[in-house]
Parts: sequence; structure tokens; C-alpha cells
Amino acid sequence: MSSGNLLSIDEFLGELNRLLNNAEKSFAAAGSLDTLEEARVEFLGAKSGQLKVVQKQLGQIAAQEKPVAGQNLNRVKDAIQAAFDAAKERMSVSSIRGEVDPAFDRTEPGNPLRIGRMHPITQTIKELTDIMGRLGFTPARGPEVEDERHNFEALNIPADHPARDPLENFYLSLVAKREGHSALLRSQTSTVQIRIMETTQPPIRVISLGRVYRPDTADPTHYPMFHQMEGLMVDRNVNLATLKTVLQLFATNYLGKSVPVRIRPSFFPFTEPSVEADYFWNGRWTEFGGAGIVDPNVFRAVGYDPEVYTGFAFGLGVERLCMIRHGITDIRDMYTNDVRFLRQF
Amino acid sequence: MDVSWEWLQQYVSPKCSLDEVTDRLTMSGLNHESTTAIDHDFCIDLEVTSNRPDCLGHLGVAREVAILADCPLQIPEVKFAESDEDISKLCSVVIECPELCRRYTARLVRGVKIGPSPEWLARRLRTIGITPINNVVDISNYVMMECGQPLHTFDFGKLAGGKIVVREPKPNEKIAAIDHNEYGLVPGMCVIADATKPVAIGGVMGGAETEINNSTRDVLIEAAWFAPGSVRSTARKLNLHSDSSFRFERNTDIEALEWASRRCAQLIAEIAGGKVAKGCIDINLFKPERKPVSLRPTQIERILGIAIPTDFVRKVLAGLGVQIQQESADEFRVLCPSWRKDLSREIDLIEEIGRLYGYDKVPDNVTVAMAPSYKSSQTRMIDKVRRVLSAAGFDEAMCPSLLPEPWSKACSPWTDREPFISHQPMLGVLEKGSQNVGAVNCLRRTLIPSLLEAKRINEYRSNPDIDLFEIAHVYLPKAEGLPQEPLMLGLVSGRDFAALKGLVETLLRELNPEIAMRYEASKVEIFDINRSATIQNGETMIGHLGQISAAGKKMFGLRQNTTVVELDLSFLATQVVDVRRHQAISEFPAVKRDFNFILAESTPWVDLEKTVRDHAGPLLESIQFRETFRDEKRDGAGKKRILLSLQLRSKENTLSGPQVESVCDAVVQACQSSLGATLAS
Repeated sequence: MSSGNLLSIDEFLGELNRLLNNAEKSFAAAGSLDTLEEARVEFLGAKSGQLKVVQKQLGQIAAQEKPVAGQNLNRVKDAIQAAFDAAKERMSVSSIRGEVDPAFDRTEPGNPLRIGRMHPITQTIKELTDIMGRLGFTPARGPEVEDERHNFEALNIPADHPARDPLENFYLSLVAKREGHSALLRSQTSTVQIRIMETTQPPIRVISLGRVYRPDTADPTHYPMFHQMEGLMVDRNVNLATLKTVLQLFATNYLGKSVPVRIRPSFFPFTEPSVEADYFWNGRWTEFGGAGIVDPNVFRAVGYDPEVYTGFAFGLGVERLCMIRHGITDIRDMYTNDVRFLRQF
Repeated sequence: MDVSWEWLQQYVSPKCSLDEVTDRLTMSGLNHESTTAIDHDFCIDLEVTSNRPDCLGHLGVAREVAILADCPLQIPEVKFAESDEDISKLCSVVIECPELCRRYTARLVRGVKIGPSPEWLARRLRTIGITPINNVVDISNYVMMECGQPLHTFDFGKLAGGKIVVREPKPNEKIAAIDHNEYGLVPGMCVIADATKPVAIGGVMGGAETEINNSTRDVLIEAAWFAPGSVRSTARKLNLHSDSSFRFERNTDIEALEWASRRCAQLIAEIAGGKVAKGCIDINLFKPERKPVSLRPTQIERILGIAIPTDFVRKVLAGLGVQIQQESADEFRVLCPSWRKDLSREIDLIEEIGRLYGYDKVPDNVTVAMAPSYKSSQTRMIDKVRRVLSAAGFDEAMCPSLLPEPWSKACSPWTDREPFISHQPMLGVLEKGSQNVGAVNCLRRTLIPSLLEAKRINEYRSNPDIDLFEIAHVYLPKAEGLPQEPLMLGLVSGRDFAALKGLVETLLRELNPEIAMRYEASKVEIFDINRSATIQNGETMIGHLGQISAAGKKMFGLRQNTTVVELDLSFLATQVVDVRRHQAISEFPAVKRDFNFILAESTPWVDLEKTVRDHAGPLLESIQFRETFRDEKRDGAGKKRILLSLQLRSKENTLSGPQVESVCDAVVQACQSSLGATLAS
């Protein structure tokens, strides 16, 4: 018998383990697809790969030990294949993301999602109310159609005052009685302050916001309807320094950094002293709005004792701030409602 | 107010530069607009607020400068010789309308020689933009610009009867003014007449016939006080605004006008020659009633937030011409000057002291106590509405609150009452293409017409995807008094009825997931009757939506399909669920079942939905409408098919087949028995 030709099962299994060991090391060490392919040919090559060589040795195993040897051969074969697959997956990106399709153009636009925009006036108002909210001022609303008491009398604007001229206001009447007028579109949001003070006791910190109306013919800088924001603070120790401080805080908040604020004398019937407030921005003084200490006559009109309480009020035109903020040059654009305009903000 | 720098220095000699003077004037209330070099002088343009007519003359400005620059004010001394002729023998003055003219003075200079003004005077007028005419006219302008009191000079020889009558116009009276236009005079205006005819419109403009010309020998100088309101309305009615009317409108100093008259006589005598007749006719119906004012130093700090030295207070009061009658440690008793009608109360004086002390000395970093602020439930709701509409691709519009009458009439879903009408229309607010619709003077009772116009403009400009919303008040008249002003949300879109209805339902459920909505036929005339509805909550109309009918589109110039929605946000604010409560969710899978019911055309979806909901039991999670279609061949006439899906789920277990089947059987049976619905095979 040619027993010298027989291979012991132990030797065969040792050979298999060595092979698996070497293959795993080679695959793991492969730095590129090319070297990995070389390693594959070396170990798994169909003609003369090392696995093939070891497989051929199966014939030298004693017959009774062949099943065990075969099982182990398959196990090692699968393990080597798995090691190779893992190495390839690790290395070859394209293998898990598919083949490059020349018809795919990643620069084509996606399906747009159309989001509506808030009107620039709304955005400005929101900014202003947020700032004033942080300073403790609560927004208040009042009617746009007002009586003369709230629009004029309680605001210390007497009957012969030019501001009450029929040509300076939108006086209203019902169709049924075209003669005379019972009401008008408010010409300022100070009316809301009167309504608040008539029904509330100090301390008060409110802002009133909304549409106001004056019969200017519409042009690039005028519109017969616009928006105002007015602040009112009433308490026992409110004075001009309080006003200046709040204006300073407001400007710092609005412009995002501390800027010089100045007040200079002006005239409004419902405040005394009355001032114009300016802030220094981009190298020049920019008008901010009117303000002042609430006139004692206004307090008397709402039943506050001016010897006990003092207050300040300030007002500003929302359109003007909005136009400066966004670089809008014609106020009429804001009320034409062209969607190409509205979608810019 | 244009001020000549050279002229101003006749009254004050500030030691600081012109720029420093204008800076200080700005910071004390006379806002400096510009300085222009003219000849060898500067014209300083100052903005004078309506409460400060005293600063509409160089002397008034000089008084401010004297305080600001701490230098003396020199008021010219008025001296002239009078002739022996007594003016009262030569002319007379009668005031017949004391409401319109409370004081009238006349002075006479006889034997003047009309000619050009001397160069110093002409140059001063030119600097401030007044063209010199002749010496007498120039002097009256000069004195007005010196002290702020307008004057008028008449050719006395042409005054019939040597008489001045101050009265209201007679019927159909007219006057040719010095601008050579003829003006019709109406009651309420103040006319200066001679014995026969009007010779001037009081405070506004003189007449051509009696104006000074080269042959004038005798000059009558008018210095008067005219009622501000009357001058204002006269100037406006005649569209005749002058330096004179501008000053009278702001209330001239009735007590000081005699000084102006004398000053004018003096300068005429000096420059144009002639003799001033003795005396002055002074019809004065005014009774001075200046009351003393109490000024407490403690109040100065209380209002201004800074303490001001008493010495400074005294100096300012003196500089302003305020007389201190009494002074104690805690009070000044003062009398304010006649030229400062704006000073009648303590607070007025505090402002004077503050502005002249300098508001720059008021700190801007004092401690202000913190205070909470609140966001109302309505504001929160509006924020939410804007978020939803933004996500839905709607842009926010803002439209004028007034409408032309045809648009106002076309649509008024909220009220049958007629709208409020404005006496003044809004001008310039209509786009080209709508300008023939009529005056914009009706307060809107609904947002819909404005939004249709906004869509029309966008259509006209070929803009794609016109989806707009507006949040604004509408004005619903009540039986009497001010209108009700509910806040409305309006939408306009090119999308169809179902799309907008879906948006409304989404929005309403976003505000309140449980909100009850009912859809009924809409009465809005411009809606397509088959593509419209009102939305009800119980007995309350929440809103309406509809596609605009062909006739409605034509009326509003629309070319494309248009659907609108309007919702009453004021009502919805009462229904809103601000903070939502958590509800436990089931961890088990859902089962979905489709049903294809054949039922009568007359059965609305809501009935089917209610029947299903009432009978599906607690496992029902949701009902989804899929579609309605009709197949007359298979189902016969008057029938439709509605496809719907039910989603079932249990909180306790994964649903078993029998559990699902029993729900389905109950639903099918209920629909069969109460609606006559059958399942399509």
C-alpha cells in the first residue's frame, strides 16, 4: 500500500487553519482594489489558488476521515470568502451605492416648497412689539373708527385746532345721514391710550399699534393709511430721564448695538414737554419719532391726578422704519400687493 | 422761517459761530434745516412748530439766541415825529365782526415818495427770499419779518370816504387781489372794506385797487389781529396762502401789534419821507387776561428727572420775558409775556426751562423697574394663523380700508346695513385700470373686494401663483354710534373650492381640534352657487368661502378662476384652544378598511360620516373621505358612490379578524338601514 501518500487529518486541518489565517491577514492588509484582487487570486483563484491546492490534498485523506476534512474545508472556504467580501465592501464604495448613472444630474433643481411671506409691515411690527415686550410693554388695540372725544378732545386738541380741520381728517357718516359727522377714522393711535387710561389705573405700560388715516394723496412718501406704534408708561416717578432711557434701550435693541440717542424740543398737543427723538446711525442723526411727558390736561380728561402720576408717551411711523429697514423707496408698493414685491421679504 | 444772519446780529451779538448758534437752536426747539450763503449773508432755514408764532420774526429768534448764547437782546427803539394833523379827523375804523377781528389799528403817513428801498433793506429781504417791490411795501414786509406781526399798507387816497370797515362779505361780493386774480368772498371770511367796496381780505391778501404804487402819496398802515381759524379757512378756500396768513393762522400777539404799527411808520418816515399823522386809531375789543402762573422748583425735577439750579431758572424766565412777581423757596409766581400764548401753566414753564437748560443733560441710563408684559390670546391666535398660511404658500397682503362704492355694494356678507361713508375720499390709492370705478370713500364691510382687486393687479402683471391673505378689521355699522370692528381673515387664490375648503378646515382645526363646523348655502352674490358655502358654528356664522362666479369675475376684471375665503377671527379667538392637552396614544397597529357605498345623490357626506361615526364604536380612530363618483349605467340615475376608509385601532390589543369584522358589519348595516346605502360589489 502506498500509505506514505496519505495525509493525516491533523496535518490537513493545520493546513486549512494556516490558509485561513494567511488569507484573512492578506485581505485585511490589502490597501487597494488591485492588491485585494491579487490576494483573491492567490487564495481563491479557480485554477491555482491556495485553497484549490489544499482542496486537491483532500484525495490524500483516509476515506473514513474524509467527511470531517470536507466539512472543515467548506467552513474555511466560506470563511475566506466572507473575509474577502468584507474587505471588498470596506474598500469598494460603489459596490454599496450602485453604479454611476450618466443620466443623473445632481444640478437639476428640486421640487420647490412654496412658503408664504408675512407683509414687511407685519414683520416690522412684530420686531417692534417683541422689543417693547421685553421692556415690559403689553400691546393694546382700539377701534379705528373713533369719536372726537378720543381722537381730539381727551388728547388736548381743542375744537379750533387745525388738526381737526375737515380737510385734514376722514370724517365719517352713515349714508342715511350724509350731513354732519358722528365719527372719523383715527388720525393717531394715541386714541388707544385714552381708552386704556379710562378703564385702567396706573401703573401702565402699553403700546398701541395699528392703522391710522390722514387724507394725503398717495405718492412715493405718503399714503392716506399707515401704521403707528405708540408707547405709554404711567406711574408715580416717570420723567424725561425715564423716557430717554427707554428710547435708548429701544434703539439699542432695534439696531442691535448701542447708539447715541438725542431728544430735542418739539410740539404735540398731548405731551408737555414734547420732544423729537433721533438716533445716530450711519454717520447721521436719523429721526426716530415724537415723544414727551403726557400733558396734565390728558390726565385730567381720563381722571388721573397729574399731581400724583406722571407718564411719557412716544410714537413712531411703522412705514418709515420698515422702508429704511428693507430699502423700500415707494410706500405705495406696500399696498399694491404684487406678489413679486411681497415675496422679497 | 428764513432768517438773515446779518439781520439777526442787529439784535444779538453771540460770541459763538453761526454753526454753533444753529446747533443750539436745533437742540432748543428751532430745528435747523439748512444754511445757504447769499451775497455776503447767510439764510438760515429754521423749522418753527405751530405753538411758537413768536419765532416767525427775527426778534423772536434773537430772543432765543440771547438766552442760548448768554448775550443781551437789543430791541430797536421806535421814535418818530408826528405832524399836527390828528388821524381821527382824516379817517375812521369800524369793526362789524368782532369774532373775526378783535383789534384794528390804523396809522397814516402823508406825503411819502415811493421809490426803491435802500440797499441794506432790499438785501435783507432778498436774503430771506422776498423780492423787493418798493420802499413802502418792502417796509411792511420788513417789519413783519422783524417782529412777526403782518402789516398791510393801503394807498389812502384810494380808500373811499377815508374809511375802514371790517366786516363779513356781502352777497356775491368779489375782490381783485394784488396777485391780479379775482376772488369770490363768502360768509365767515373777514373783509376789509372802505365806504363802498372790499379793499383787502383780512389777514390774507390786499386788493389791487388800493395797493401802493408810484403815485401813492398817503399811506394807511394796518396792524390788526385776525382770528386764526377764519384766516386758515379763508386761505384754504381761496387757495391763497401768504406769509401774512401763515402768521395770523398761528395767532399773532394782539398786545404787541401797536409796536409794529409804530415801527412801520417810523421806517416809512425815515426812508420814504412824509409825515406821520398824529395818533393812531386803535379799535381794541380785546381784554388782556393773563393770569399769574405758579412754578414750583420741585416740579421741575419731578418732570425732567434732573435738578436745575435756581439761578438758571431765574435767568431763563427773565430771558423769555416772564416776569417774576413773587419768589419764595418753594414757588415762583410769574406773569408770562403776551407773545407766548403757549405759556399758561406750570408745565409749560417747566418745558421752557428744560429745553433751554438742554435735554442733552437728561441722563439716558436711569433705573427703570422691570415689569411683566403679556401676549393676548388673540395675538397668539393671529401668529398661528400666519404660520399656517405661510406654510400653505399664501403671501400677506395689506389693502386700504376704504372701497369705491361699486365694490362695496357688490358684496357684504356680514351686514345689510349701509357702510360708513368718508367725506374725504382716499386719493391715489387705485391702480391704473381701476381708476374709473369711483371715489374711494366707503368703509369696507368685508375684505373680499379688496383682495379681488389685489388678485386682478397680479393677474394683469402675469404673476404666477397668486395666493394672498389679509388680516384686518372690517367696519360693520350698528343702529347708532361707532361701528363694530371684527377682525377678519381674508384669502384669495387661484386654487379651487376643495383646496380652499381643505385649507379652512386645516386652519380651524389648528385653532381648535374639536371645533364644530357646518356648511350651508351661501348668499354672497358674486359666488358661484355650486362652489360656495357659509361656515357655521352653531348659530354663528364663522365665515364663508366660494369660487367667484363668471359675473363676479367680470365685475372685478378677473380672467382666471378665483376662490375666496373670509373668516371672523374675533369670533374664532373665543374658540381657540391655546394650550393643548396630551392624550395617550395606542402602541398597537391600526387596521384600515375601505368601503364603497352606493347611495342617493341627495344624501350629503356629513350624513354618511355621522352614521359611520355613530355606529363604528370605540375602535374607530378616523374616517377618511376618498372620493365620490357616479356610474349611471351600473347604479341607475340619482345615485352616487362614495369611497371612504376607516382606520381602526385598539388601546388594549392588536385587533383580531373578528373584532374588525364586527365593526365593519355594524357600519354597513347602519348605513343600509338609515341611509339606504349599499356596498358596491
